[in-house]
Amino acid sequence: MTENEAPAPSNDESSKTSSEKRPSKKSKVSAEAKQFRRIESNKPQTRKYMSNEISSGKYTIITFLPKFLYEQFRRYSNIFFLSISILQQIDGVSPTGKFTTLGPFLFILTVSAVKEIIEDFKRHRSDRSTNTRRVTVFKGNSTSEVTWADVQVGDFIKINNDQGFPADVVLYSSNDETGICYIETSNLDGETNLKVRQAIPATANVKDEDIPSITGHIECEEPNRFLYEFLGKVSLDGQHEEALGPDQILLRGSKLQNTQWIIGQVIYTGHESKLMKNSSKAPLKQSTVDKMTNRQIFLLFLLLMAIGVTCATLSLWWDGTIGSKMWYFPQDTSDKSYGFPLTMCTFIILFNNLIPISLTVTLEIVRFIQAKFIDKDLEMYYEVSDIPAVAKTSNLNEELGIIRYIFSDKTGTLTQNVMEFKGASIGGIFYDPDSIGDSQNSPLIKKMKKNGKDAEDIKDFLIILAVCHTVIPDRSTGELVYHASSPDERALVMGAEKYGFAFQSRTPTTVTITVNLGTPQTEVYELLSVMDFTSDRKRMSVVVKRPDGSLALFCKGADMMVYDRLSKDSKINSEKMVSGTQGHLDAFSRLGLRTLCLAIKPLQESEYKAWSQEYHAASVNTANHDKAVAAAEERIENNLRLIGATAIEDKLQDEVPETIATLLKGGISIWVLTGDKQETAINIGRSCNLIKDDMQLFIINQSSINATYELINTYLDKLHSQYGEQIPEDIDAAVVIDGKTLNFATSKAVKADFVLLCTSCRVVICCRASPFQKAEIVAEVTKKTGKITLAIGDGANDVAMIQKAHVGVGIAGVEGLQAASSSDYSIGQFKFLKKLLLVHGAWNYNRIGKVILYCFYKNIFFYIIELWFAVESGFSASILFEQWSIAGYNMVFTSAQPLAIGLFEKNVKAEMRMKFPRLYVENQASFSMTIFMMWVAVGLVQSAIVYVMCSVIIGHGIVWSNGREGGLMILGNTVYTYVIIVASLKAGIEIKAWTLPSHIAIWGSIIVWFVFLVAYGIFCASFVTSGAPTDMIGIALMLFQCFAFWLGLPIVVLVCYIPELVYAVMKNHFTSTSEEEQRRFEDVLLEDQDSREKLVLKHESTIAELVLSNICF
Amino acid sequence: MGDAGEKSKKPGNTAFKQQRLPAWQPILTAGTMLPTFFVVGVLFIPIGIGILFFSDNVTEHTIDYTNCYGQGGQTCADVLKATPGKFTSCECEPITFDLKKPMHGQVYIYYALTNFYQNHRRYVKSRDDVQLSGKWNTEPRKDCEPFHKDKGKFIYPCGAIANSFFSDVIQLFKDGQEVPLIKKGIAWETDLLYKYKTPDFWKNAQGVSTASQWAHITKPKAWGKELWEWDEAWGKELWEWDEGVEDEDFVVWMRISAKPNFRKLYRKVNYKINSTSSPGSTLGLPAGQYKFKINYSFPVTNFGGTKSIVLSTTSILGGKNPFLGMAYIVIGAVCLILGILFLVIHINYGKKNYIQPNDTTQEDTAAAQSGEQSSQAQGSSHTIHQVTT
Repeated sequence: MTENEAPAPSNDESSKTSSEKRPSKKSKVSAEAKQFRRIESNKPQTRKYMSNEISSGKYTIITFLPKFLYEQFRRYSNIFFLSISILQQIDGVSPTGKFTTLGPFLFILTVSAVKEIIEDFKRHRSDRSTNTRRVTVFKGNSTSEVTWADVQVGDFIKINNDQGFPADVVLYSSNDETGICYIETSNLDGETNLKVRQAIPATANVKDEDIPSITGHIECEEPNRFLYEFLGKVSLDGQHEEALGPDQILLRGSKLQNTQWIIGQVIYTGHESKLMKNSSKAPLKQSTVDKMTNRQIFLLFLLLMAIGVTCATLSLWWDGTIGSKMWYFPQDTSDKSYGFPLTMCTFIILFNNLIPISLTVTLEIVRFIQAKFIDKDLEMYYEVSDIPAVAKTSNLNEELGIIRYIFSDKTGTLTQNVMEFKGASIGGIFYDPDSIGDSQNSPLIKKMKKNGKDAEDIKDFLIILAVCHTVIPDRSTGELVYHASSPDERALVMGAEKYGFAFQSRTPTTVTITVNLGTPQTEVYELLSVMDFTSDRKRMSVVVKRPDGSLALFCKGADMMVYDRLSKDSKINSEKMVSGTQGHLDAFSRLGLRTLCLAIKPLQESEYKAWSQEYHAASVNTANHDKAVAAAEERIENNLRLIGATAIEDKLQDEVPETIATLLKGGISIWVLTGDKQETAINIGRSCNLIKDDMQLFIINQSSINATYELINTYLDKLHSQYGEQIPEDIDAAVVIDGKTLNFATSKAVKADFVLLCTSCRVVICCRASPFQKAEIVAEVTKKTGKITLAIGDGANDVAMIQKAHVGVGIAGVEGLQAASSSDYSIGQFKFLKKLLLVHGAWNYNRIGKVILYCFYKNIFFYIIELWFAVESGFSASILFEQWSIAGYNMVFTSAQPLAIGLFEKNVKAEMRMKFPRLYVENQASFSMTIFMMWVAVGLVQSAIVYVMCSVIIGHGIVWSNGREGGLMILGNTVYTYVIIVASLKAGIEIKAWTLPSHIAIWGSIIVWFVFLVAYGIFCASFVTSGAPTDMIGIALMLFQCFAFWLGLPIVVLVCYIPELVYAVMKNHFTSTSEEEQRRFEDVLLEDQDSREKLVLKHESTIAELVLSNICF
Repeated sequence: MGDAGEKSKKPGNTAFKQQRLPAWQPILTAGTMLPTFFVVGVLFIPIGIGILFFSDNVTEHTIDYTNCYGQGGQTCADVLKATPGKFTSCECEPITFDLKKPMHGQVYIYYALTNFYQNHRRYVKSRDDVQLSGKWNTEPRKDCEPFHKDKGKFIYPCGAIANSFFSDVIQLFKDGQEVPLIKKGIAWETDLLYKYKTPDFWKNAQGVSTASQWAHITKPKAWGKELWEWDEAWGKELWEWDEGVEDEDFVVWMRISAKPNFRKLYRKVNYKINSTSSPGSTLGLPAGQYKFKINYSFPVTNFGGTKSIVLSTTSILGGKNPFLGMAYIVIGAVCLILGILFLVIHINYGKKNYIQPNDTTQEDTAAAQSGEQSSQAQGSSHTIHQVTT
């Protein structure tokens, strides 16, 4: 392809004018046609483009307050607390002073604000450091250094080695004559291997001094988020246009490597760059516990309203009948200002903490630190690649404890994505590469040396492996290292190398290999055309000129793709050879090996010439580019001759079978969604321990909706006859479905039955599923079952699925970081899922549940006491406690106990949880509406016990030998003290593992209350004349001298807890009798041992042995 | 890609980060709980008996005088009713009271009111602590409304509580002789020290004051005398002139009660009784007939309340209150019964409760220990219930 051959500018109208008026109009005409932008070189742009300055910050100084407040007051609870704060400002309405809600509320808002500011400040700072980086820009005849923020669309820039690209840039030229440069894209897609980019020949010779004379333009697509796609044209002189593709694009976020410099022109800037287009925010996920908590809060709100209405009614009745006779009351104000609404407000203020103000903050702190525990877990740290587990969100910590379905990707997740060349089938004969030993003496080489009938095939086979690929050799470290975008390719190239066909180097137009059959020879293959591997094509072809000058097409691809394009001529493809190869392919995939077919087609010079012109025309056709190119490629990739097939082993990740066995026992159903063939998928299923020998298999592989529907219903009928009308949810059976059939199965008519069948089985394997299908299945199951789903994957193709599931887990691994970065949790290995769910998930669920229930309980317990007191104080909303003690209840005296529960509670040890996965299921019962009701009941009963007993012991007031009387404040503070102690002990009873911090939280809170009692009294005494509250003066002194106070304490605490202790003991002994339980545990234990032994056996026999034992010839 | 300089992301191996803080795991089974219950039972019953003994030593006599007769055969209550809203006082016919057994120890006189809601919200807040603390503000706090102003003058002390200050005067006679009653020491020391202070101008004023402040202040509406009249002979003084708000009766009244039925300490009886060893040496009241002379000016019948005089001794636990002692005995007994029940459960079901994955079982001895101290990776025994609760 030279410049002369470039065809005239395409007939597409949009390519000529992409000024601002046209595109919008065009987009309405046809949604399919892409919009283009025209970027002028060395001329003012015809329209304004986005600035290259990026800002990822959420707020600016001006927008902070309104935006922040808007965010905060979208929460109902905050509106509630704000309303309470406002109501308290009305004179005479608040029973607890004006600032007792506003104070804590402002505190909580401030904490959130500070958190937001700190996070935003970090973002702004990183933005600033990015925006102020410098880059060389050509300005007329000179160059100047400008900041990244000042780079504009159309600018010519020069990037030196190791520098990052400030924007998306079209590569014009590099220090290499042919315009090759290398880039590292790990920031973009996580892949650490170097990628090659090459300028088109037309621009490859542009040097610094040529820049001012460029008068052309670039036409390219409007910005989009597809990293590996690009369409455009470039013109240097404004007349001749050349096609641009993804190979000429250098994206922001990547770095220039192993190249001295490049010159390029900026096309997409700032937030229009592909990197920024991809940094979409993950959808906000809310945990199930949160949703239930909201329902519980609503219930409490109803309770609050009921109490408000009841008390206000009683209050007005009391005032009218009894109160009116009380000459000592301030009567005249009562008539004016005490209507029903205000009285009700008074009671709502009094009881407002039934909706706990501190819950949000407590949960935020607890979740934050729980997430840190996940981050810091050494047992989830992958030493090999230095990857710790990362919790990207803390909102879903507890969701990990109630997972019902796991959707797993296969490659890279269950398997290592480390490929090994495990076998070759050439001309219908199997060769085992493991038996090479001395490669020169392997049967394959020997045969080749014999120059027999098969020698030619073997040689072509190895040449295709060595030539037809996109691997980049790198000698920068001194040794020859292959960089490949797919590990399969590298495995094949290395396989060829093993047999003496070593790939050495490539230029854009040549590939050099050394053939070592005794004496090394260098052979150069000229690359005439390259048709890349894509997920649609599933094959790669190259047209080469062999060293002897003959032309040939080499094709390497999926068996179906290659078999479809084989020549029917039996002279070219003998029946025996084709079916023999097919037999090997089946055998390979039964072993879980990945297969590729190799084929060849000799070409005539003229035949190729004609085709190559068609192909060029298609590639510059911007309107129908994809279709045209595909059609052109079809025209040459046909009539192929089958050479053979390769087998590559996809190694399992560490401990995958064990992890899967454990998770299945934890009541979790596992779905594997893979792009593999059915046979491969089933075999991976077997080797992963997903499918056991005695399992029922429901294979669904049909070619029409009706057939699919019928088959599914046949299976369902079978299950109905086995289990009756209600099919249980965890039958030990596996469904295997093919990607094509999946389309039918997820169609409207069949969907319901399909989901029913799948959710009844413990294991589901979907083969040949596309990323879209993966996401669709996850969404469907999530919606239909209402159960909690987890999707785990490692590649970009899993992102959709990860975002659709309740919890998305990404594996940070070989296929890049894209899955990990869009996930909620990222881990280094599949096996860590076990601890993440069984230990962290279960603990967090238990902890969060208890924290929430405890927060509800402590407020009900404390505030309902005011209700009992109201009965004895004429329903006047009189408070039993000093007003600031009330405010301190949630903020100080009972703030540490929930943290102790949320951070240090361990109802069952980690080792036990790992050993007995059934505990994971049992743990899920620890938070429910019923349990919530029980806690509420405990709070109500305890509040009645404490109030009634205190009022009998202390209420009459004569509690000292000096005959003095205590009154309201002594009763109030006695009750308060008992409440703090009883509430702290409740935390203590719920805590099954008392660590040092738990002790500090529980006993410390009690001590802090006593210290407060003394200190606050002294403080008030010192500032009486300044208007300090006087209620607490002398209370500590009098209370501590009071024997009744100390003697009442153990009695009240015991009365509160005897029922609870008896209940706990009885429950331990008599519900789901322990004998039964023990039996079950033994089962689990034995089962565990059994499966472990089996697994060991499986692992000991190597793949090679299995290959040999499976293939007989 | 020089990873030589990069720091490893390996998390630190600390007990906190790895969630391996040593923990004590209390186990709630019959076996572990039963010693606690036995100990509680054995301890509480004698304590309860002791408390009951103290409470029983307290003697207490209550004399209801709500409907005492004034001069002219009318009850004082009716006399007061005739002039609603206006201060009226009525001299009760002396009330006789027979003390059958002598009272030993310090005898306290209380007045007891029923159906008086000192704890009502509007009543509780109707006071001005700054005013009471001796800092002279010209205008009382709004909380005092409507008891903050009268005829253009500010009320001192303001508010409903001060306004309804208990004004009855009680005197005790034995054989025609007045029994000496002590007022000093009935209020909390801390109240007198910090909360109630007469302003300086008051203390500096001599007798009927000429201080300019008087021009702006007036007494609470329900009170019988102007503030400056209180030094004159008027039965018994409600307020000693030089005390003002520091008057202990006033301070006691201002400490509001928890319940609508309450007692407040009125006086300490300063009377010696003949003990067996040395005559006239210990405090107490001998048996015999007593007369109470009461100046009745505090209306209670209109809101259905009653007024009583209570004569009472105290123990270290204060007044008579058998509940605490009874509670100790009952709870002690319940714990003993539960202890026995748990013992039965433990013997019959106890051992089956353990699963022993690592064969490190704690048998019954574990019950006696307070709990198990489990350290890092050591797999100590676990019980099923930990799992299920």
